[in-house]
Amino acid sequence: MTLFAAMNSLDPRVNRLPTDKVANSSPKAALDQFGTFEVFVQAKEGKPFQHEGIVHAPNLEMAYVLAKEAFTRRFTCVSIYVADTRSIHVSVMTEGTVNAYESIDDPGSSGPRVSYEIYHLLKRGKQHVHVGTVEAGSPDEAMWKAKQLLAGEKQVFNIWVIRTEDIRFTTTDDKDLWLTLPEKKFRDASDYKGGDKLKAFLESVNK
Amino acid sequence: MDQQALKELLYKMADDQLIMGHRNSEWTGFGPLLEEDIAFSSMAQDKIGHSLAMYTMLQELGEQDPDTVAFTRNADQFHNCQLTELPNGEYDFSLIRHFLFDTAEALRFEMLTRSTYEPLAQIASKIRGELRYHTMHAQTWIKQLGSATEESISRLQKSLEYALPYALGIFEPSPFEEQLVADKIFEGEAALEKKWKAKVEELIGQTQLHLPSWESLTPISGGRRGKHTAHLQPLLDEMSEVFKIDPTAEW
Repeated sequence: MTLFAAMNSLDPRVNRLPTDKVANSSPKAALDQFGTFEVFVQAKEGKPFQHEGIVHAPNLEMAYVLAKEAFTRRFTCVSIYVADTRSIHVSVMTEGTVNAYESIDDPGSSGPRVSYEIYHLLKRGKQHVHVGTVEAGSPDEAMWKAKQLLAGEKQVFNIWVIRTEDIRFTTTDDKDLWLTLPEKKFRDASDYKGGDKLKAFLESVNK
Repeated sequence: MDQQALKELLYKMADDQLIMGHRNSEWTGFGPLLEEDIAFSSMAQDKIGHSLAMYTMLQELGEQDPDTVAFTRNADQFHNCQLTELPNGEYDFSLIRHFLFDTAEALRFEMLTRSTYEPLAQIASKIRGELRYHTMHAQTWIKQLGSATEESISRLQKSLEYALPYALGIFEPSPFEEQLVADKIFEGEAALEKKWKAKVEELIGQTQLHLPSWESLTPISGGRRGKHTAHLQPLLDEMSEVFKIDPTAEW
């Protein structure tokens, strides 16, 4: 435990290593940044929404605003939505040939039924993709319902459930956001053809 | 249609966008959080893209190419309003300026979608989405911080009071107002100012910020006539520094 205690490094990763201070318990430091929100993007009309990543924000509406530029700046899409990370209910993450649905049992019915969105992870390292909507009285029941209705043939490594009401969707009015100048190549490094220019320059020098 | 009137209109809009875009780009790498840094930088880039569209239109009307126009003029040849050239200061000022400027910008281009000058009407439709994002971004922040903490409210209030007289300078009338209105190229600065004031009142009304009475404010104008603060020339020098090393370089 004392191994790293005296280590003083400019690398923040080293400074985060456990030190002997851990032995004396202290309260966990308060979050020094905003909470996280999960961002889902729909690339084309008719395609399912796919999880793309997270943004930090003070609330759901700000998360939506920041997500738009963070995830759809260069690549156009038709719609995005966001949900507080704490609104995502996750199943176990499985390995090998184990299907995540195997661990889902009937939790019984509870509470008034509302709508939940269901997402599957079909390949480790890939993104969760929206597969459908179910009506249920709890997130657990939503997983159970999804097992009956949406499980499908393919192996699912992980399931996410979000109450529909917890999502900040793109409204019809917001759709305008993706109407932009088509001529935006100046934003891409590839438009500057640096390699070609360097080659031409070297050839002119070596002549 | 009077070309001089049209050119004057295009120049002032393009210069506003270029200077605002450049100023806002100075936040790149210094934003208050990574996501905001990305969003603010991206909008700054949009602004420069808009100015390129305007300068390209001017080139089609016989003016010099966009790079020459953007990088080789001196401060007194620029027609941007002074609001856009003011230094960034703290983030509260940059947000308030962004809010006041883009509220006007979105309304201006909404009006220009009806312009009888077809190329301008087309561009106005094309950049609608970007401006919609710019106003959404500005309004969401102002609503958030304008009602958050004592510090955020008092900071925004101070910046609002400082920025408002400059913001009114956006609407400094052009010598060609009547012609532009008569030719239905643009509905005019007076009409825009009226819409802008109503929108600003509505949005500030949703926060805990206090909007001073319009009568108590004296607009700071002059920018449209090439009269600028001491802040513009250093901005231009820095912006054109690389270009001027070799103006004939191909990028």
